[in-house]
Amino acid sequence: MAGNNNSRTMRIHLKVWRQKDKSSEGRLVDYTLDTVSPDMSFLEMIDVLNGQLVGRGEEPIAFAHDCREGICGSCAMVIDGEPHGPQTGTTTCQLHMRTFNDGDTIVVEPFRAKAFPVIKDLVTDRSALDRIQAAGGYVSVSTGNAPDGNAIPIAKDLADAAMDAAACIQCGACVAACRNGSAMLFVSAKVSQFALLPQGQAERERRVSRMVWQMDEEDFGSCTNMGSCAAACPKEIKVDNIARMNREFGRAMLFGQQREQRSED
Amino acid sequence: MNQGIVRYLSSTIGRKYLMAISGLVWTLFVLAHMLGNLLIFIGADAYNSYSYKLVSNPFIYIAEAGLVLFIALHAINGISLKMRNSRTKPTLYAVTPKSVKGASLSSKTMIWSGSITLVFLVLHLITFKYGAHYETSVDGIKMRDIYRNVVECFAQPGYVAWYTVCLVLVGLHLYHGFASSFQTLGINHPKLNTVIKRFGWAYSIVVAAGFLAVPFYVFFVKG
Amino acid sequence: MNLDSKIPSGPISEKWTKHQFDSKLVNPANRRKFNLIVVGSGLAGASASAALAELGYNVKTMCIHDSPRRAHSIAAQGGINAAKNYQNDGDSIYRLFYDTIKGGDFRSREANVYRLAQNSVKIIDHCVALGVPFAREYGGLLANRSFGGAQVSRTFYARGQTGQQLLLGAYSAMMRQVDSKKIELLNFREMLDLVLIDGKARGVICRNVLTGEIESHAADAVVLATGGYGNVFYLSTNAKWSNATAIWRAHRRGAAFGNPCFTQIHPTCIPVSGDYQSKLTLMSESLRNDGRVWVPKDANDTRTPDQIPEEDRDYYLERIYPSFGNLAPRDIASRQAKFVCDEGRGVGSTKLAVYLDFAAAIKRDGQDVIAGKYGNLFQMYEKITGDDPYKVPMRIFPAVHYTMGGLWVDYNLQSTIPGLHVLGEANFSDHGANRLGASALMQGLADGYFVIPSTLAHYLGSTKLDKIDTNHEAFKEAQANVQSGISRLMNIKGNKTADELHRKLGKLMWDNCGMERSEQSLKKLLEEIPKLRDEFWNDLRIPGEAASLNQELERAGRVADFIDLGELMARDAMERRESCGGHFRTEFQTPDNEAQRDDENFCHVAVWEHQGEGKAAKRHIESLNFENIKLATRSYK
Repeated sequence: MAGNNNSRTMRIHLKVWRQKDKSSEGRLVDYTLDTVSPDMSFLEMIDVLNGQLVGRGEEPIAFAHDCREGICGSCAMVIDGEPHGPQTGTTTCQLHMRTFNDGDTIVVEPFRAKAFPVIKDLVTDRSALDRIQAAGGYVSVSTGNAPDGNAIPIAKDLADAAMDAAACIQCGACVAACRNGSAMLFVSAKVSQFALLPQGQAERERRVSRMVWQMDEEDFGSCTNMGSCAAACPKEIKVDNIARMNREFGRAMLFGQQREQRSED
Repeated sequence: MNQGIVRYLSSTIGRKYLMAISGLVWTLFVLAHMLGNLLIFIGADAYNSYSYKLVSNPFIYIAEAGLVLFIALHAINGISLKMRNSRTKPTLYAVTPKSVKGASLSSKTMIWSGSITLVFLVLHLITFKYGAHYETSVDGIKMRDIYRNVVECFAQPGYVAWYTVCLVLVGLHLYHGFASSFQTLGINHPKLNTVIKRFGWAYSIVVAAGFLAVPFYVFFVKG
Repeated sequence: MNLDSKIPSGPISEKWTKHQFDSKLVNPANRRKFNLIVVGSGLAGASASAALAELGYNVKTMCIHDSPRRAHSIAAQGGINAAKNYQNDGDSIYRLFYDTIKGGDFRSREANVYRLAQNSVKIIDHCVALGVPFAREYGGLLANRSFGGAQVSRTFYARGQTGQQLLLGAYSAMMRQVDSKKIELLNFREMLDLVLIDGKARGVICRNVLTGEIESHAADAVVLATGGYGNVFYLSTNAKWSNATAIWRAHRRGAAFGNPCFTQIHPTCIPVSGDYQSKLTLMSESLRNDGRVWVPKDANDTRTPDQIPEEDRDYYLERIYPSFGNLAPRDIASRQAKFVCDEGRGVGSTKLAVYLDFAAAIKRDGQDVIAGKYGNLFQMYEKITGDDPYKVPMRIFPAVHYTMGGLWVDYNLQSTIPGLHVLGEANFSDHGANRLGASALMQGLADGYFVIPSTLAHYLGSTKLDKIDTNHEAFKEAQANVQSGISRLMNIKGNKTADELHRKLGKLMWDNCGMERSEQSLKKLLEEIPKLRDEFWNDLRIPGEAASLNQELERAGRVADFIDLGELMARDAMERRESCGGHFRTEFQTPDNEAQRDDENFCHVAVWEHQGEGKAAKRHIESLNFENIKLATRSYK
């Protein structure tokens, strides 16, 4: 069985982006590891390297990680030019060394975008995404006595489609992959989740408008429909969500205004 | 219309709406233009009469103004979005991805295919619209012999080569632009997406091939 | 030590309502005068932050991540229980209460658990209102599945990502309050000390992990929702950053610790593959709805699973527990897996795994149906192991998953320090000696959305709170304390990494205080931990500087606390001379290897009080009274 292959080890050359802090210049630094097991995850390989670095009194490579099971969205490395590495539908922490070959040279860089400044080595600040969420990524309902969960039936296919969009882990790979540094896939996933569900209808125009404006303010790029975002997305969120967001935004532009005017009368 | 709509249209999505709409107008225009060009296969008179009918129609000025407006909107907006995007993504990566995660050639090169098309468009107008004025008459009506301009131009191998390169780029630009416009305008459905994509593919090939048929015909058959 | 649990009088079903009525309120105009700190942004922290801010309090929420949504609640897979009885299978609030008490092996407080069951119903309604995309039937109504320790289907789920979706719901509610400036979000902050003034919790000291700056934050009350301490074992299903530092530092400031030795070992995790292993991945308990657990009957059977015929397989859970079968509670399923592996019947190269087989379910329902229910889990399994579970049975093994122990709290979720409230996994309260599946999400949200808003109001409304700010002497003392702790760590300048020492601690804990404990193993552990502590404080190496992002420093501080907490766990396990739930003392078992409780002597919560640096903590007890459910030996047979 593949999972039991403990005997084989690989030699891996790494070129890793090292950057002291926000204001310093960074560069790619070479490292070699001689005994990499194919069953290691990519992050465990970096752990081993870091152990060696600390042993030599050098600073270990700083990188974001937490759950190591592909759901928290912390880990964020660009591996050979691809966010989260060569496998589709995979986060960096789920990428295993069996994907690589003995003797490979792997280039590891941080997620790059104007809106994601590098803090140190491979750690970037992605809090711009939270500010977009705060601008409208919610249903405005306060804790209390909500109606019974079954009060509004929701068709299974709608619930499933909303769930597909809601699977986003906010890792930012879409932004990292996009040649424009656009966050449209991320924003559209949230907009779609609520646009699809009846709970989201009451504030759908306000939501999409505020989230898009905040996205622009955070200096994310525009969408040129290249699709690299969806290809890099570890949760395989589809670009159809972007079309839906475009539609929602247009709807808000054309009809949301009138509604506001009517209410002012 | 109020201030709100300006805010919407000046957002990154709003500006993409403008790109899509102006792009679609020109997409329709190039098809019509290409179909008109094909009259050359019927003969010089048919070609010249069609041209005469177009330019003698007073509405032509409105149409021309519209086209200029849309292309200006498309170009200025496109260039400024590109500048914005270069700012929002200042550095690319040390390695270019090899696998499926990369973007298509057509989508990555829109700014270049678009810019060259714009240069071509200007030169094209200078060559034909404002080029040498020959006269002819069909059924007693005096009109410009634009047919002669075409034949003269496409007799030159250099011009045919340049024209070919430009039209391939137009096709490439159209290929991404077509499906992309629908996506931008939110016209999208799982059942529709493949159709739009295939149609766009066919459309751009037909348009490019239709335009290219003329110089090839002139150069190889007539020349 | 005052261990008044403040359980209201009256019949169990009316206690909470009565208590809410008897509690003091804070009027809406006065709420904006109160400043609260919530540490942690998982289900409990995020829901508490949102609910408190919605009421009008000023909330500061701290999290160690870049985004509050990364808290480890996000990784919970299977579901959340609620006594809705949508399935018409005889469920009720009382039954959920009963199942939880029984599942916890009679070591939890009846009143708390009953309140939890009551609130479970409201949680589902509120989460639906927030737009959580729960699984639905074709008719549009909510779908349910079954979880361990229950004979009804009461678990609500969103594919295998229920924790993620519930957390995103709470996170979205919280971000709405961030937008309306009722919550100040302090990300990248690690709490390192609690500040007490006049014996009340009045603030925290935290380190900004990006800059290394030590900050003081003052408040009228502090809420800790920082999760469990399973990472004492190094290898666990917890996230790498999950840690006990916040609760441990609060413990050192006087918050008593309840039942530290109660650890849950989850039966279905992906087995360890090598020494480099950094964490273990859970495979949701929901898989046991359709998967069948088995090992070969013969220890020497080396055939691949597809070559082993039915008659040579031992579906041991179905054999031993015919009425619950593969859905026996976690502690029991884990222990049985260990027993069969101890007999040499384990599978895979390490012989430390059992099969979880879906062949029968795929044959019965078709691959599409199974993929619809568990697709993402199967995919996750394949990514990690390289095996395709649609074709080959999964190999699973128990792993540390959850800690039922935690800071002691009364019915109001207040610790022994006035003004310090503890929610979710960080407290000890609702799960006794074993937590049932799909109950952690329920507890986190019940505490945050529905309990703390009313109990915290009571504290604020009934307590005299002087005006203070961060210039107070107590803040300066605490800040100096944190600074000197950091300098001490930085100045060891030895040779070992924090991770190396943490691994060592983990192995000691797992071998001696894991699935099985004995007087002998615990004795050994209590001898080894002080040695490890010496090694840590003499041979640790942290490169870099303290005044910048320094992940080694963060790790080292957490490991130091884990070592101390590990010791307390060992002492607690030693003192509890009985077996119950996840605490299995080999000396105390029935003839058929089930846990043997000693209700005469141990029907209580062990509550540990810190006595100062270098001194052994003192053990107190809070007796547990069962007025509604009769103490009985658990049976799932």
